[in-house]
Amino acid sequence: MNWPLIALRNILRDGTRVISTLLIIAIGLTALLVGSGFMLSTYDSLQEITMRTEGHLIVIDDTPDPLLGGSHQQLSLSNWQTIRESLWDDDRVLRVLPRARFEGVVSKGNRSAVFFGSGVDPKEEFRVHGPFLRTTGVLDPWLTSSQRAEVMLGAQLARTLDATSGDLLTLRTVRSNGESAETIVRLAGLYQNGTPAIDNHTLMVALSTSSALMGSDNVSQLSIYLDKKEESAALQRSLQETIDGVIVQSWQQRATLYHKVKSLYDRIFGVMAIIILTVVFLAITNIISLAIYQRRSEIATLSALGTRPPQIYANFILEALIISIAAAMLGMLLAYAISHAINLAEIMMPAPPGKTEGYPIFIYISWPHYLVTSLVLVVVVILASLLSACRAAKINIARAIS
Amino acid sequence: MTTRLSLNAISKAYGKADNQMVVLHDISFSLNAGEFLAIEGPSGSGKSTLLNICGLIDHATHGDYYLNGAAVSQLNSSERCACRRREIGFIFQRHQLIPAMTVYDNIAYPLQLNNVKAKQIKHDVAQLLTAMGLEHRCNHLPYQLSGGERQRVGIARALIKRPQLVVADEPSASLDHRHAQAGLQLMRELNQTYGASFLIASHDPLVINHCDRKLTLLDGYLVDPA
Repeated sequence: MNWPLIALRNILRDGTRVISTLLIIAIGLTALLVGSGFMLSTYDSLQEITMRTEGHLIVIDDTPDPLLGGSHQQLSLSNWQTIRESLWDDDRVLRVLPRARFEGVVSKGNRSAVFFGSGVDPKEEFRVHGPFLRTTGVLDPWLTSSQRAEVMLGAQLARTLDATSGDLLTLRTVRSNGESAETIVRLAGLYQNGTPAIDNHTLMVALSTSSALMGSDNVSQLSIYLDKKEESAALQRSLQETIDGVIVQSWQQRATLYHKVKSLYDRIFGVMAIIILTVVFLAITNIISLAIYQRRSEIATLSALGTRPPQIYANFILEALIISIAAAMLGMLLAYAISHAINLAEIMMPAPPGKTEGYPIFIYISWPHYLVTSLVLVVVVILASLLSACRAAKINIARAIS
Repeated sequence: MTTRLSLNAISKAYGKADNQMVVLHDISFSLNAGEFLAIEGPSGSGKSTLLNICGLIDHATHGDYYLNGAAVSQLNSSERCACRRREIGFIFQRHQLIPAMTVYDNIAYPLQLNNVKAKQIKHDVAQLLTAMGLEHRCNHLPYQLSGGERQRVGIARALIKRPQLVVADEPSASLDHRHAQAGLQLMRELNQTYGASFLIASHDPLVINHCDRKLTLLDGYLVDPA
């Protein structure tokens, strides 16, 4: 007996019921796919920002002074050049960037502001940030002439100082031995990424400038950028084993914002997914229960002929399976079309907490993700139909037939 | 002669004690192997309820029921299901065909439930389709058949597995005289070849006259017990 064909005939007997079932499942799946696609793209983007900002791996000195906020804020990594040279031969490594953290006061005329500075490799630093750190002003001279005492300012910090490219600024700081130091730098350009903490308070100078200012060749950290992020765990282990006196951290250990947002979104979308799956579950239970009521005479006949209850359940589950597979395909197509349209439309999201700029919505389209989500929904539909079908076996045969 | 079915003081009541409606009162009779037994009576006399109890699709409130010598009144639902599957054929008043199954599938279904081999099923179904004059309808769905054809398919489905007991509720209800005769002839052949027993509720004199014996039910009482 061709049970799938029989199930298909049963499905086609009630077009209205089938269409409403299809639409409920398809719309539920579309909502899940578009919502989770947005969530995944947000995770991806936050990961990317963290990796570009901090590097895939971060090497710091292993003797942090808790009073100074941890070793990555101190100029305590002395053998960084040796470590960097040793990494150049590793094919997995694309870049190794030193970063020296320091802080103080920046002034222009009678205007002053507190800053958090970084001494960086000017030729490489802005390449790794990519689109996540936008620059304006005269950047090239700064990049090509790293020996000049020039500075890049966060855009809002420059506005606070009323500084424009070419202006001379004074950086004042206190060295680790307590001496105060200052230097004059020329403003080469501005950068911004929509994060007030960065745009309002940070600046960057060439490593040579920060070394001269701080009176130390040490850096705070070495940021290692890899060809493939999947290789970071293996390289982290091997570096930790081979280099003494340092701690090798992965980007995840620095990704505070990523972990917070992920935790928040996981909960929001988790609740949303539970609500959607519950709605689908209840709708399918209701629809299958109605179908069972309408077909109780047929079910009673099957029982009277000696059909085992599991076979009766199986018929309904097979019907639900066929409907849910068709609905899953429809839902995936709808989700694909909607996601594509949103991505092309470049709709802007409002600025999230802690940011001053919105960002374009991007919906992740991934067929493995589509298939797994569809599979979850198909399982929910089958469970709902199983629950309803169990009632079919309790039908009073004599009453249903008469 | 072997007793196929034996009822001993069977009663059936609906509702609770203070508001109970008794539809069968102390019904006792036996049906021998190979016997054709008609049950007649006016509408509401309890014929269908009695057939349902004999066909194990309903429970008696009191009394004992023996099928092939085994007490079946106390069987659980799974055992009753297995017993129906193996030993009882049903001819329903309103044919009760499965709408999504073709004529062939409807007739073959009881054999599939009993795990008969596909080749044997094909052979038996073809034979019965020819006997019932339905071979040209084999791939049709029930809605494509006339009322008489549906009833013939229902009869064929009941007889295909050669059950020991056939319970028939108005088997000729939607058949013309010629097809009613053919159906009865087929039942009689099965009865003579395999010793199947028939318990038939009917108003049709053709059917009643065809039976070896008849019982009359009136308001739930057996008027003429065997």
